Amino acid sequence: MSTENPSERRRELLDDFYAECDELLTALREGLSAWHSAGDNALPDRAVLDELFRHAHTLKGNSAIAGLRLSEELAHGMEDVFRAISKNQLEATTAIAETLEAGTQRLEHIIGAHRHHRALPEIQDLLATYRGLLGVPSPAKPSSASTPTPPAPMPPPNAATEANALATFVPARELDARGVNVGSIRKRLGELGPILQASPRILGPGSITFEFRLKVAVFPSDPGAWADDGVTWERIVPDRGEMADEAATSDPLSLTPSHLIRVDLARLDELMRITGELVIHRSRLEELFTQISAPPAGLREASIALHRSLREMRGAITRARLVPISELFTRIPYVVRDLMRDSAKKVRVVIEGGQTEIDKFLVERLKEPLLHLVRNAFAHGIEVPATRIAAGKPEEATLRLHAESDGDSVVIRVSDDGAGIDADAVATRAARQNLKLPPVLDARGLLDLICEPGFSTRDEADLASGRGVGMAVVAESVRHHGGTLALETTLGHGTTFTLRLPLSISITDAIIVGVGSERCAVPMGTVAEIIQTPSGSLRTINREEIVPYRDGLLPVRRLRTLFQQPPATDATSTILVITSDRGSAGLIVDRVIAQREIVMRPLTDPLLRIPGLSGATELGDGRPLLILDPAPLTDGAVRPVPVSAST
Amino acid sequence: MNSSETYIVFELAGAAYAVRSTHVQHIEMLEHVTPVPQAAASVDGVVFSRGQVIPAINLRVRFGLPREQPTLRTRLIFLNVEGRVVALIVDAAREFQRIPPESVRPVQETLVGLAGNYVEGVATLAGRNVLLIDVARILTVEEMTPPALAAAPQA
Repeated sequence: MSTENPSERRRELLDDFYAECDELLTALREGLSAWHSAGDNALPDRAVLDELFRHAHTLKGNSAIAGLRLSEELAHGMEDVFRAISKNQLEATTAIAETLEAGTQRLEHIIGAHRHHRALPEIQDLLATYRGLLGVPSPAKPSSASTPTPPAPMPPPNAATEANALATFVPARELDARGVNVGSIRKRLGELGPILQASPRILGPGSITFEFRLKVAVFPSDPGAWADDGVTWERIVPDRGEMADEAATSDPLSLTPSHLIRVDLARLDELMRITGELVIHRSRLEELFTQISAPPAGLREASIALHRSLREMRGAITRARLVPISELFTRIPYVVRDLMRDSAKKVRVVIEGGQTEIDKFLVERLKEPLLHLVRNAFAHGIEVPATRIAAGKPEEATLRLHAESDGDSVVIRVSDDGAGIDADAVATRAARQNLKLPPVLDARGLLDLICEPGFSTRDEADLASGRGVGMAVVAESVRHHGGTLALETTLGHGTTFTLRLPLSISITDAIIVGVGSERCAVPMGTVAEIIQTPSGSLRTINREEIVPYRDGLLPVRRLRTLFQQPPATDATSTILVITSDRGSAGLIVDRVIAQREIVMRPLTDPLLRIPGLSGATELGDGRPLLILDPAPLTDGAVRPVPVSAST
Repeated sequence: MNSSETYIVFELAGAAYAVRSTHVQHIEMLEHVTPVPQAAASVDGVVFSRGQVIPAINLRVRFGLPREQPTLRTRLIFLNVEGRVVALIVDAAREFQRIPPESVRPVQETLVGLAGNYVEGVATLAGRNVLLIDVARILTVEEMTPPALAAAPQA
């Protein structure tokens, strides 16, 4: 009885498609911006061009598979342009780069619209442009095909990314009448700092804006005056700058300045699995030691060194899964810019702690909840400029994304300086929707209420906050990954959602142990090693069982006691050595069955909140297998119930 | 008849009980329950439902009735009570019934013993008494003390 249904399966496939599109679009943007910034009519680097062609080609193929014809066609058009340039049939100009940038942006809209079930944009204008480009015969060029591409000087390390401000000018007839046009704006901007990039953006038929990327010493103090002249200001997030620095410090001659590779997470899982097996093999070796009366000199040391290396290897693999959270955050300014296009609201996005590391697995799963929080803030929190000004707030709202690590958790905050959540309004609406009101409508109660599956703050699902994805989904997603969600809101001053998630992920390696007829899983991260010891070496001191271990004594607990089974009578005891920051303790099990990768499912029901148990998993047979949380063993938090009162 | 509510009728130790069908997610045959150590006595263990770990409550034990080996008729009734999902282990699930409110009478406590605490009324259907269960009251944790804690004063 499989619960998998075709529509779910299709959604998963689409998720993969969107994820890959995100990467391809980022790569396209980066490549184009490298080309663009090389200066007018500078030939793009051959390798960059090849990459761009490949990305467009892959995106075309993926779109075809996903059945998204619009992006397939557009990517096809772009691919043709890249090919023509690459074959020297078309001269690479900045103007062409701009049309391709416009194409990339349109692709993003198409994919975004498809993902959120919005109306798909038009592409005929761009397709016509590309066809026009390809119809123009290229100026005859000396055959350069026989000679390798000259080692053109590297473009300056992406000048556009050094920019710290983005000024967007929207021309209008009234402005033109006052003599305010692209030329005059460019001149005024030039006085503030160097203009590193200027690009027109075609937003639709007959609609064009100009974006200027500048490096300014001081951000204009009077954005309002600029706005009167059709210019809006945005800070450019610093992460891009950091990325550029990194690229600049790498080998300047390298054609691929990035030393990053894309690795399927499954491969890291595989590495972790093999490491786990090595750990089990080593414990078997260790077990054999006990049967040698006089082990050769150095053998034990070699084994301990092996053990240490295995631990390091596990840590290294875990670290390999960590990515900076900026991967998640850098999408947001684009999302917000998209939202602003259909709205009078003005928002600047501030990103803090973009370098905070988070498991890649979580990045994938946090994308949607984070986007939802941002769209929510935009739709429900942030006010229109007039309201903000009337409330004495700056016209431009601030949406802050903040991340930091805190011990074993990652804390992510999404804050806005908008209107805050009106508890009374929420209560009224909830009552109208026949939802049960919490006894106290404090921040906690309010959060519970807006996270109710039936709750909606708008009568119709509006575009920005999306349809069918409510706070309920955000809350569920956070809870599912063992995290917590908190809310702070002040009427008139803004709202902050705080997500706290465990750094470690819900997929982990575990040792499956048996006790009596039961089996359970012990997360491998908590198990330092597995030892076998003659049961005769167990001693009871102060009603606590201990066993000699290394140079000291190890307190031990019996898993059988937890399961309320009588102690085993085996001649040797198998002990998992559990370590935490509080110390070490041993867990006596009947047998070690296997080392497996498990997916942790939390025990959320109040009836299942039992110290020493952290969740359940399954090994493919659909039967729940309990996961022990052995950490409390090391501080005695779990006092196993004595089997008989006489002991 | 419009105001009558629909119920799922099930069997427990020869008596008929019913829960509101709006609370019932689905019903499954009892295959495997993983025992959970240190859980309340009436919690037989956990089962999976839609990727979630669900406690399986043995209603016989919960009502103070003698525990019995599961049979082919034993069923798991998955309830969703205000977002919380639990499964009840019952002797057999019988039918889907419409019960008009006028046929529901208050319960006579002497008749039903411990189960009386969880019964909100009695309805007579085809000459047979059906006890209507208040599911929210079955799920209160306070009354389900884990055996370890219950045993502590004696130690």
